Amino acid sequence: MSGTASSVTAHTTRLSSTGWPGRVLLIVAWIIAAALAVFALMPHLVAPYDPIFLDVVDRLRAPGLSHPFGTDEGGRDILSRVIYGTRYSLGVAVAIVIVAALIGILYGAAAGMSSRRTDDLLMRIVDLFFGIPALVLALALAAAIGRGLDTVVLSLAVVWWPGYARLVRGEVLRLRERPHVEAARALGVGTWSLLFRHILPFVVQPVNVRITTDIGYALIAVTALSFLGLGAESPTPEWGLLIRDSRPYFGSAWWYLVFPGVMVMVTATVCSIIGDGLAGSEASSRGA
Amino acid sequence: MTVPLLALDGVRKSFAQRRGGAAVQAVAGVSLNLAAGETLGLVGETGCGKSTLARLALRLLEPSGGRILFDGQDITTAGPAALLAIRRRMQAVFQDPLASLNPRMRIADILAEPFRVHRTTPRGGAAARIAELLAFVGLEGIDTRRLPAQFSGGQLQRIAIARALALEPALIVADEPTSALDPSVQAQIVNLLLHVQRARGIAYLLISHDLEVVGHVADRIAVMYLGVIVELAPTGHLLREAWHPYAQALLSAAPTLAARRDRSWQRILLGGDLPNPADAPSGCRFHPRCPIAREACRREVPELRPVGSQGRYVACHLAPAETAVLGAAIGRGRRGGARMQAREGTT
Amino acid sequence: MILSVRDLRIRFGHAAAAPFAVDGLDFDVSAGEIFVIIGESGSGKSLTGLSVLGLLPQGAVASGSIRFDGQELLNQPEAVLRPLRGGRIGVVYQDPLSAMNPVWPVGEQIAEVLRAHGLAGRREAARRSVELLERVHIPDAPRIALAYPHEISGGMRQRAMIAMALACGPRMLIADEPTTALDVTIKAQILELLSELRRELALTVVLITHDMGVVAELADRILVMYAGKVAELGPAAQIMNRPSHPYTQALLFSATMSEAPAKADLPAIRGTAPPIEARPAGCRFHPRCPQAAADCREAAPNLRRLGDVLLACHYPLLNGDAARPGCAP
Repeated sequence: MSGTASSVTAHTTRLSSTGWPGRVLLIVAWIIAAALAVFALMPHLVAPYDPIFLDVVDRLRAPGLSHPFGTDEGGRDILSRVIYGTRYSLGVAVAIVIVAALIGILYGAAAGMSSRRTDDLLMRIVDLFFGIPALVLALALAAAIGRGLDTVVLSLAVVWWPGYARLVRGEVLRLRERPHVEAARALGVGTWSLLFRHILPFVVQPVNVRITTDIGYALIAVTALSFLGLGAESPTPEWGLLIRDSRPYFGSAWWYLVFPGVMVMVTATVCSIIGDGLAGSEASSRGA
Repeated sequence: MTVPLLALDGVRKSFAQRRGGAAVQAVAGVSLNLAAGETLGLVGETGCGKSTLARLALRLLEPSGGRILFDGQDITTAGPAALLAIRRRMQAVFQDPLASLNPRMRIADILAEPFRVHRTTPRGGAAARIAELLAFVGLEGIDTRRLPAQFSGGQLQRIAIARALALEPALIVADEPTSALDPSVQAQIVNLLLHVQRARGIAYLLISHDLEVVGHVADRIAVMYLGVIVELAPTGHLLREAWHPYAQALLSAAPTLAARRDRSWQRILLGGDLPNPADAPSGCRFHPRCPIAREACRREVPELRPVGSQGRYVACHLAPAETAVLGAAIGRGRRGGARMQAREGTT
Repeated sequence: MILSVRDLRIRFGHAAAAPFAVDGLDFDVSAGEIFVIIGESGSGKSLTGLSVLGLLPQGAVASGSIRFDGQELLNQPEAVLRPLRGGRIGVVYQDPLSAMNPVWPVGEQIAEVLRAHGLAGRREAARRSVELLERVHIPDAPRIALAYPHEISGGMRQRAMIAMALACGPRMLIADEPTTALDVTIKAQILELLSELRRELALTVVLITHDMGVVAELADRILVMYAGKVAELGPAAQIMNRPSHPYTQALLFSATMSEAPAKADLPAIRGTAPPIEARPAGCRFHPRCPQAAADCREAAPNLRRLGDVLLACHYPLLNGDAARPGCAP
């Protein structure tokens, strides 16, 4: 009987999951993500110009054939700057999320596997971190160790990891109750083996979903900090910094603001769509 | 008397409730002995604590009180090393075979895990031993590179049994081993459990709500209600003449097919539901639902005491003097044998 | 005939190659009887039950005919089916906890059924819901009516679910595994209740189960399904006492283990019911059948009449005894 029920559910999820518009959107998102990866890893292959090469003659030129996204006040090619900027903006966002996820997974797994009292203590510490405002921390760190992208990574990772710790701890607690984990314990499997062979493999998927969506949010946070002058320094072609630098010319050179802004928006949206897609496939693999 | 293989001595387990509240005593002082090669059936309804008791015996849960002895050795507070040694000899089979096998591991890895965990290489190598185990449980020649999801429930339960047998244990704690399976597959697994016992002399602690399975496989049956054992007797005695009013109600609720076909037996319908274990009744825990409860039952806790010479135990102030007649009538009624024979003759 | 099912076929998707989960089912249910559909995983018994009220899962395609009181139900628009659901046909599910809405009290959910069918106003519905809870012997009904589903026990919930199914005075109940999730003593109470309701309200009950004990106790007639087809269909007494199909006999054996000599090997059939996409040719039961012969592998047996029983088997058990040889006194 239970077999019938589950096979029926599997059918419905398969048939009712995203229709073709959703699937097309997901494919487009993956293509853009692949392009962004190329921009970040091999910008010199794609960018038409050197992103920091000054050309005073070509200052604030409108988009055209030679400069599709126009140029800035130093005559630098905005398309090239935007492409090179991927490495800084998206790269930093990815670094933040990965550092946060690694800390969070270790911490959350430790909390989930330990006794109730230790777990309580560890999670109260997490609560403390949740209370820290990212902006204040970034300001304090910038004052203490100087501004720069490494400060951004540090301050955002510090406020970001508790989310992963909570997610992973919750999953570990849930998975610990699963019969296959109990069966492994009855077999004599030790704590480490239990964690790495029987529990963490099942945490990977929800963490992946979270990482993908979080990269979008981290990107927005990174560009925001740079925009406020707490992140990258000129002439680094970081998107937030580009937007900051474009402010004096907004009335006369719209392209200077718009193209970096569009990059931030598109990248964050792509992360969100891929995250949703992963969450969907996770749900259906759980249902089956 | 020889040392029992597994001895539970006044074992208790309470769970603290979330948001304060009184602790729930899931197991409230259980003493049981299990001899080598014996099958002890443990029956009772949801929430009676039988699965908790199984987990305590396996030391998957820490007891709140009492002692657990395996082969005479106190394992109540055994550390990881001692526990690992015990687990070689005490294995488990669970209800849902699909859920109790790691869905990401191939069958070969699942069956190799006992050897890996206990750092032993069986004679002739792990691969040969795995093949031998699979043949023993009737799965000769299956593709062990596949994942659990690619097998049927019956096959998976055979795999789980093979895993439990890998280290040649002396005891298998089986928690509802047939309940999740289709009826036509249940008999196969029961046969396999019996075959394993005959061939290897393994003892079973068999937890089940299915009186048909327990009645067929067990040497003795313990009936559990709200965290305590209310009756313990050799299987035949319990099925023919239960003495505890709760055991009687349980038996009369699940008559044999023959009696059901006749629609001839009288059921004892218990009033109400299982009380909240956090607020267990005073005196005899069964008294609010007991059809024959007296004033004394409200006040005094009945001990599980031996009665007669046939190895029977009952925890009831009134048994067997005032319960045996009804018990025997229920035993006859739920078998429904005589009526069925008469009917068979006329149809 | 209150319910007539003809050539019912259900499969997932329209593809010509998609196998039929339910593959050509014919049966009639007479008014006032308890008709039990019994089968295992993948037999199609639950789909059959769901199809009566058009409650099939998404993607399922049904053909054939289902007539209730002469009215065609299969593939009818929602406007036709909605008044029937919970109206003239009540439904009881296996798991009342997931079938009930967790955010409304039990009584309110029963009242909602009455209001939805336009049978009572707000105040009247509330009063009737308490009466209905009393009808299914829930003690302290006014208090339980105000409780949320998770606050009451499983047995109470199943009673409340039955009360909900009875709200509009249905002529027929469809009960899908109504006792499977319950403990034996609670199960006994629910079975007593169902048989009382049938007796006193002249209800027709279509009960879907895999539990032979439930069948033996309640059934007037039985439909044994195997792999989407009828194995055996006929009066309960005859099928339970003298099964003609080897599969029915196997089901009976597994329900009578304690009648066999203690610890003796049980006469078990081998293997597992096949998944929908891998059903064998010929008689679908032949790979598991202890007495399969060559023609069982080649030709699917037609349904034929044997006394009062309709049977799909080339070699029926002529003296099929439900009791095991050697264990009868």
